[in-house]
Amino acid sequence: MSTETSTTKGSDDLEHEEHTHGGTDKQYFQIFWILVVLTALEVSTEWWDEWFGEGSRPIAVFVLITLMIIKFFLVASYFMHLKWDTPILKRIFYFGMIVAIAVYLIAMTSMNFWTDSGTTEFNDPPPAPPPVEASD
Amino acid sequence: MGDLMYEEVEDLEFPDDIHVTSTGISNEKLGMWVYLASDCLLFGGMISTYLIYKNRPAQIEGLEGGDIIPSQFFDIPFTSMTSFILLMSSLTMVLSVNAIMRGDMVRMRLWLVATTVLGSMFLAGQAYEFTIFYFDDGLGFTTNVATSAFYALTGLHGVHVLIGVIMLLTMVGISYRRKMHAEAVEVVGLYWHFVDIVWVVIFTVVYLIP
Repeated sequence: MSTETSTTKGSDDLEHEEHTHGGTDKQYFQIFWILVVLTALEVSTEWWDEWFGEGSRPIAVFVLITLMIIKFFLVASYFMHLKWDTPILKRIFYFGMIVAIAVYLIAMTSMNFWTDSGTTEFNDPPPAPPPVEASD
Repeated sequence: MGDLMYEEVEDLEFPDDIHVTSTGISNEKLGMWVYLASDCLLFGGMISTYLIYKNRPAQIEGLEGGDIIPSQFFDIPFTSMTSFILLMSSLTMVLSVNAIMRGDMVRMRLWLVATTVLGSMFLAGQAYEFTIFYFDDGLGFTTNVATSAFYALTGLHGVHVLIGVIMLLTMVGISYRRKMHAEAVEVVGLYWHFVDIVWVVIFTVVYLIP
């Protein structure tokens, strides 16, 4: 804070600034309304099948995951103050999150989550590769 | 040095504040962040377990159970409402932290109570949802692995919300007895917002993605 600013502000303002390291109430309301709109958009995907046909399902899944990530970072950055706090907290939290995502993606892959053949059997093998025609 | 009292010697070691740490962050706040990072692993495990089991309810070798799955009975408009309530509680929580940072104890207490009420409403909604699943739809915890994974995940989140509500009530109680530290409210707020972002993920992954 510059000396000029210090001299023009009252002691109450200075005290307030010293104890605040986040956003203003107005900013938080703005973030909240953004989150509400994003949630409404998420919920609307429930009816996309009826409105746009079953072909919209993959797009809906993509939209849902994107909106989830945006909402996650909005809450973590603004409501949890990561945007303003020291970077070490950001590193600790995102490190835990990235480790969790990596570990469980590997676990799910090892259980054929992505290559499930469509049966209800657990740990069923991946679908057989298409037959290769024998060449002379 | 010989003339100094014991307390003064201590002050020489920690000249500004006995709570000064090498990271510049208090132990309480750092501890909460480390805990939240570890909780990511816990919830990650529960979410991936649900994803693996959700469509494989019955025909797992060595396990018995019906072939109904929880997603057949989801009431999306109702769950959307409870999600909105939890989102609103995050706003009231952050307003409470802002109020204590301004030194406004009255508003802090007001927003804390609002957060507690909203959190309790979310819990009531979850209890209602579980009751409908259990009594009307026949989804028990041991019906099959899909229902077990569902109840374990959403139940664990519910327990986190319940602990959050207890922490908030404790803060309200303490605020009547003595002056609160802004950081104490902030640390409880961190926990509460984490519970909210976990629900953001659960709501999308469990309830909305078909």
